Amino acid sequence: METTSSQKNQTIVDRVVTRLLVDPTLGVLALLVLICLLAAFTLPVFLNGSNLYNLVNNSLVVMILAMGMTVVLVSGGIDLSIGTTMALCAGVTAAAMNFGLPLFAALLAALAMGALVGLGNGLLITRLGLPDFIATLAMLGFASGVLYIWTKGVPIIGYMVPEFYIVGGLTPLAGPLTLPMVIALLVALVLGGILGFTRLGTHFFAVGSSKTGAMQSGVRVERVRMQAYIVSGLAAAVAGIIMAGRNTNVPADLGNGYEIQAIAAAVIGGAALSGGRGRILGAILGAITLAAAVNLINLVGVPSSYQKIVIGGILVAAVLANRISAVVSGKVRQRKAMVLEGIPA
Amino acid sequence: MSSRTLNPQTGRRGYGKARLAFISTATAAALLLTGCTTVNAPAGGSNAAAGGGGTDYLPDEAIKKIVNGREIKVGFAPPILSEFYTQVEKAAHNKMKEYEDRFGVKWKWERQGALNDAHSGTETLGIVQGYIAREFDAVFVCSAANAATMQTLYKQGSEKGIDFYQFNSTEELANPSQAEDPTGGLSTVANIGYDDRWQSGYLAGKYIAEQLKGEGSIIQIMGPSGSDWTKLRQQGFKKAIAEHPGLKIVGEADGGYVRDKGLTAAQDLLTKFPDVKAIYGENEDMALGASQAIDARGLKHWDGTSGIITIGADGLVSGMEAIKAGKLTATVDVNSAEMGSRMIESLFAHEFLNQEISQFIRIPTGVVDKSNAEWHEGVLKNVLAGPGKY
Repeated sequence: METTSSQKNQTIVDRVVTRLLVDPTLGVLALLVLICLLAAFTLPVFLNGSNLYNLVNNSLVVMILAMGMTVVLVSGGIDLSIGTTMALCAGVTAAAMNFGLPLFAALLAALAMGALVGLGNGLLITRLGLPDFIATLAMLGFASGVLYIWTKGVPIIGYMVPEFYIVGGLTPLAGPLTLPMVIALLVALVLGGILGFTRLGTHFFAVGSSKTGAMQSGVRVERVRMQAYIVSGLAAAVAGIIMAGRNTNVPADLGNGYEIQAIAAAVIGGAALSGGRGRILGAILGAITLAAAVNLINLVGVPSSYQKIVIGGILVAAVLANRISAVVSGKVRQRKAMVLEGIPA
Repeated sequence: MSSRTLNPQTGRRGYGKARLAFISTATAAALLLTGCTTVNAPAGGSNAAAGGGGTDYLPDEAIKKIVNGREIKVGFAPPILSEFYTQVEKAAHNKMKEYEDRFGVKWKWERQGALNDAHSGTETLGIVQGYIAREFDAVFVCSAANAATMQTLYKQGSEKGIDFYQFNSTEELANPSQAEDPTGGLSTVANIGYDDRWQSGYLAGKYIAEQLKGEGSIIQIMGPSGSDWTKLRQQGFKKAIAEHPGLKIVGEADGGYVRDKGLTAAQDLLTKFPDVKAIYGENEDMALGASQAIDARGLKHWDGTSGIITIGADGLVSGMEAIKAGKLTATVDVNSAEMGSRMIESLFAHEFLNQEISQFIRIPTGVVDKSNAEWHEGVLKNVLAGPGKY
């Protein structure tokens, strides 16, 4: 039977729609494009090169946190301490610089602190058997408390050297390129590579989908979960280093609310809170979507309360899209299985 | 400076008219000599003749007898632990140390700062309830909680014999007055602070108007919507701008009282309004964020004739350093040093000397720019290096 051109078009449309529904990353991309189009019509300045440049630059800290969070979510956990870990690592960097350590050593100290906090989370969860939510909530309180006691609530200042302005992205690296952009790209490549092309990545997905199943397949579940939290701690440390350079001071409340933004960006990007699902590209798009919403609100000049409503709305839309996507991908899998088994659909 | 030891402004009994006149004249002369109208002599400075009383008009020995080695348990509840409240607390500690040395007061001081409560006040409510339950003698409170809720709490505490002093608060929002009622309708002993409208927001607007000679566009980075501090400072700032038809506020955004959000908001607004002449950051951190946005865009800071003015409010050591470095044009110093010192003076007058003090104690504030930043920074650094530690 010959296929007419209208039937062919219909098939292509069906495929595109199905692809959009099955792949949550494409869903958030569509949402982002929609926001950009709406903004471009109402506020031409939105698509101005320097505005888009600001928007991307301002999304980088949340983006790096969201990438770390995605790894934890994929492995079936959640890291509520990621924001305060970022602040603690920013504090370590600043204090190390004030102590007279060279920049390189200060950065290493911050990374070590991030890994240590991640390890702490992992141990609380795997050795003491605490639920992820409780363990990381406790770590949030602990890290925040340490920073408050240490600084007595007074921001750490006086550590900025010219190189640190580059680290924070306040001074571009070359042309319009900033170091945080390069760092975010590297983090994306490394974490995307781990999730997509390594055995560890497969184990993250396996543990997040079913701990029992992964265990029966010989995966060392506890070790994998610990590794996910160490990755998250390291991502927080990288974000903290950038934040110390960007903020030019480190107040004790530097990380407040960042865990929510990181979770929101990861979930908007298609990561499932139930585990076993998520993409680094999704986290990147999620962070840019959040930054675009804030940017639009600032440009329009509406009160901040609307900002929260808009972000809440985007989050709900993303979770709903996730659910639809899960249902549709289930049906697509079912249809493929039936086709393979020769059962008429 | 002896006249500051016990605040004559608080109108207490026991001073003869002649003595008050003498004190006023001496104070005015001293202020003229030092060219100072804003910040008091730093603790450990002139009035720390403390040890022996020096030229002080207070009869130390007589007061020592009244104090009689009494211990007082004081709670301190700021809405957040920050550089500003640390400065306030340190200034208070310096004054406490002075009174301990001079009059033998025994202090038990406890700070319970909310970790992140600059916006809702609920955490501070719990802290104050804790002080009431533990029967402290006096409590200093600065809270973002609803004013009526706080007054109910103060009333409950007062019935148990606890005295409440608000500091850096926003009681002017409801315009309470002592014209008819000695308490002004409040359940506090005193409110030590400044008027956010006319002693902060208005001053910032006036400074911009003076520098720009009444012409130019302005963007504002504000605190979170709904904040009482924001409401009041906005009222004063907008009034000052409205007095100059050539000035126009072209854009506003929320900077959440933090530097990073201030930077993001300023970057966004500078993209939309690249020709602005001034940025008003409602607090110093947001103004410093705006200053970073100016640098990031390669724009010029105000040099007295051209560039972009950035002005904030608080009066922090970090702000003074930024002004001296030309990164921040100005700030409204709301006088944390004087605030902390006055809090203890008021408490001492009421709790130990049984004096009636004014419900509203206003401290002087002023704009700091390159011309006077060194003096303000010096005062703050002296306060922070002071001997008080509790």
